Amino acid sequence: MIRTINIVLVFVSVAMLAGVYGLKFTIEGTAAERTALSAKIHEQEGELSLLQADWAVLNQPGHVEPIVRRHEVELAVGPVKQEQFAAFTAIPMRPARPDTAAMDALFQAVAEGIDPIDAILELEGIE
Amino acid sequence: MAITADDFSPAIALDGARKQRVNLTQARIRWMILALFLAFGLICGRLVMLGMVETDQSIEGQTRDVIQASRPPILDRNGLEMAVDIRVPSLYAEPRRIVDVEEAVRKLRTVLPDLKEDWLRNRLSGDKGFVWVQRELTPAIEDAVMQLGIPGVDFITESKRFYPGMREASHILGSTNVDNQGISGIERHMDTESIALLQELGLARGAALTPVELSIDMRAQHVMHDQVVDAMTRYQAIAAAGVMMDIHTGEIIALASVPDFDPNDPSSALVKDTFNRVTSGIFEPGSTFKTVTLAGALDSGMVKLTDQFDARYGVRFGRFTIDDFHGKHRILSLPEVYKYSSNIGTIRVMQAMGKEAFRDFLSTMKFDKRVDFELPEMRVPTVPGSFSEVGAATASFGHGLSVSPLHLVTAYAAFANGGNYISPTLYKRSVTEAEPLYERVISEDTSASMRYLMRLNAISSGGSGSQMNKAALGYRAGGKTGTAEKVVDGRYSSSKVTNFFASAFPLDNPKYAMVIMVDEPKAENPQSGTTAGWNAGAITGRVIQRVAPMLGIAPDFSEALDQQIVPASVRQLYPEGF
Repeated sequence: MIRTINIVLVFVSVAMLAGVYGLKFTIEGTAAERTALSAKIHEQEGELSLLQADWAVLNQPGHVEPIVRRHEVELAVGPVKQEQFAAFTAIPMRPARPDTAAMDALFQAVAEGIDPIDAILELEGIE
Repeated sequence: MAITADDFSPAIALDGARKQRVNLTQARIRWMILALFLAFGLICGRLVMLGMVETDQSIEGQTRDVIQASRPPILDRNGLEMAVDIRVPSLYAEPRRIVDVEEAVRKLRTVLPDLKEDWLRNRLSGDKGFVWVQRELTPAIEDAVMQLGIPGVDFITESKRFYPGMREASHILGSTNVDNQGISGIERHMDTESIALLQELGLARGAALTPVELSIDMRAQHVMHDQVVDAMTRYQAIAAAGVMMDIHTGEIIALASVPDFDPNDPSSALVKDTFNRVTSGIFEPGSTFKTVTLAGALDSGMVKLTDQFDARYGVRFGRFTIDDFHGKHRILSLPEVYKYSSNIGTIRVMQAMGKEAFRDFLSTMKFDKRVDFELPEMRVPTVPGSFSEVGAATASFGHGLSVSPLHLVTAYAAFANGGNYISPTLYKRSVTEAEPLYERVISEDTSASMRYLMRLNAISSGGSGSQMNKAALGYRAGGKTGTAEKVVDGRYSSSKVTNFFASAFPLDNPKYAMVIMVDEPKAENPQSGTTAGWNAGAITGRVIQRVAPMLGIAPDFSEALDQQIVPASVRQLYPEGF
């Protein structure tokens, strides 16, 4: 009786030993993986910080202005002038009522093949 | 006495085999227990030993955490980075683990030829556990050194401050030292607040720190810096500076001073004359101070906008006679005193107010103490504690006292915003946050009169702000020039001057105040002059022209806007307003 129990216990302890051993190795593997990953993260964070710094430099008005100045002539751009600003309120309102009779006459003329623009173009000498 | 064999047998008989075995087992168990005790004792001893060991975390007197500590990024009011941390490798050596010093020296110098051979040999020999070789290198150099494969030489990643705006906001940001601690500017101020504590605790690591938002608008800052740098060549000035402030919140929108330095190279800040002229430079403010005198006098009620002042003759104080620069030599109304920048008129205004009341008003405007501001580079203004008759007279037009441009811009902000003094700040602040900090210094009515006077000076014929208004047309700007003669060999020199232009815009609904300073300018061309209107005024105009659209101010040429700021009392004198 005791003998069988002993044999069972020996097998169990051997199995547990093997289990613990295996566990130890997998944990070591995971730890190594973790270290590698954190090293990679660290490295990438470093690269990211450099990229962010680059991005910040490229976004600075002090960096953009010389570029604009260089291409000022080709692109025909310049600093905005006061006269170039306008407001929606400055746009004139639509005339009170469209001149329907004149519009009808115009559409009828076009339908009949008389283009009023042709007359203007001929007058200006443009074909 | 009967002696039995039984009595003797135990004495001579050997133990039975069974008993013998029991004894042996007991002895074995004892040895075993002893061995176990020894083994466990050994383990405990080792544990205590390990517990006693103090691992050296410090690097040349500083903890690793402090060296790797990062600083929060600094953003402008629109979220653009003004200062960021970059991770850079730093090269260190462990001399105790270096096998062949000569070989290490030779190999390292192939990659880093700048290192002195003797210095490096000294550095690498010995029994130290840690020495820096060179800090803040590039990743390319890191790779090259790693390729050499020298034992006992390795890299540690440090945080280094980088300022993407380069020189543009140098005086605002300041700089940090090699250990990433703020040594000047807002960086220094941040350290006195909370970051130093976090760094000490080793918590300030990684990118998790909340960014610091400043009140600066980098676009406006760029324009301001651009214009003051331009002024250095255009007017051959020895220095120029400018500051712009939101008059309702006290936020500084732009602040530039040249000559400046590159915060990425902190040693360039040690060059002479690179100090911040806006906060730590004090100057005689010249005629820009007349605005202060007039504001004080109008607010005291002793002087009205429609009063007349006799400016026919100079004011005599003993041997001295104070006269006007652009002398009209007639009786001037108060708006004319301001417009023609009459020294005589201003003295009469101050005298009507009383010199004690005038001195008290300067204290109300905090001209006699440092401005409450974040930058550590500040200078105490020199304003006499009490005025003599002649002292008060010269002070009324800005001579005989020295204040910083920051004092001026804060005062002008209070004059334009309805009469509330608000301390300037470099941190973002909303109007609701600023309102509890308001201190009333002049009344709403006086403020309205001051806005009218400033605008009058810009658009009325003969006003000294007309040069400014040429460029800033449509943005309803106005202000006052100031040409202060410098003291050379104990006398005021008319050739060496400090010029100011203090302004506010748009005056129909004022939002920003600005002070521009140009030190010792020369005429741009033979047709122009050296007085403030020609340089400081023109710069102000150009800055407003570029900055106003960025700040959401649309140009408007309608005269009604100008007419609506004319106080009713002026209409009696000038029905047309200006």
